[in-house]
Amino acid sequence: RYVRQLQRLQLLFSPTAADARGARQFVEEAALDFARRHPDVVLYVSPRSGWAPLLLAEYLNGTVREELIAGKTSEEIAQLATKLAGQSGLDIVRIRKPFHTDNPSVQGQWHPLTNKPSALTIQGPRLQPQ
Amino acid sequence: MVLLSAPRWLRSRLTDRFWRVQEVLKYARHFRGRKNRCYKLAVRSVRRAFVKSTKARREKKRFLRALWITRIEAASLEHGLKYSAFISNLLKSQVELNRKMIADLAIYEPKTFKSLAALAQRRRQEGFLAALGDGKEPEGIFSRIVHHY
Repeated sequence: RYVRQLQRLQLLFSPTAADARGARQFVEEAALDFARRHPDVVLYVSPRSGWAPLLLAEYLNGTVREELIAGKTSEEIAQLATKLAGQSGLDIVRIRKPFHTDNPSVQGQWHPLTNKPSALTIQGPRLQPQ
Repeated sequence: MVLLSAPRWLRSRLTDRFWRVQEVLKYARHFRGRKNRCYKLAVRSVRRAFVKSTKARREKKRFLRALWITRIEAASLEHGLKYSAFISNLLKSQVELNRKMIADLAIYEPKTFKSLAALAQRRRQEGFLAALGDGKEPEGIFSRIVHHY
């Protein structure tokens, strides 16, 4: 069963600033649709004046992602919100290898003495037990 | 005549300079010398670093293949085979493992690698018999080819 990794989405914008116009339009028009389409994400809308408009996304593993939405239109903010809703909270870095094992060796990892004869693998003439 | 251009120039000042400089310097932080602090030197070094990393992606494939070949050669010499004999006889016995997998097997699965080396050795002997024995002996078992179509 699919568990959405996005916990909550906080929309912080100023009620009067000019760059928060897209955020205000989003709240008026598209925020309810977004909330209905994603019922497992909690959407908080908090106006705060004097700050740049932000979209804060918090994930189940604790990562918090802040996205500036200053000067964006309502559709762009909706697209951004759906993109964040589809992400997991893992860091966006280059994955070095697409595979990982905790037990890489089943037969025992090679060491310089693996293929060398030992006293147990007697190679000389047969030793008689005395 | 009113001079309008001077006050118009002075009205727009660059306020972002710090962040524009930091965007470049953040990639130069682990460099040696003044290149990790001074913007003018860092710009050149960062650009060269990016160009080198782009070009090196093609070299990485060659380098890794050479590394695998070295490792397979060392491992097969432990079992008394040379790399050329090992690889050619494995291919003739229809074992289509690439060098990366054979190198990983040699490191993490030494017994499997020993059996692969034994297989290659046996196929080699059968090849010699087929070439030098002149027909009267039965054909080798490991020289049989399986068609998958």
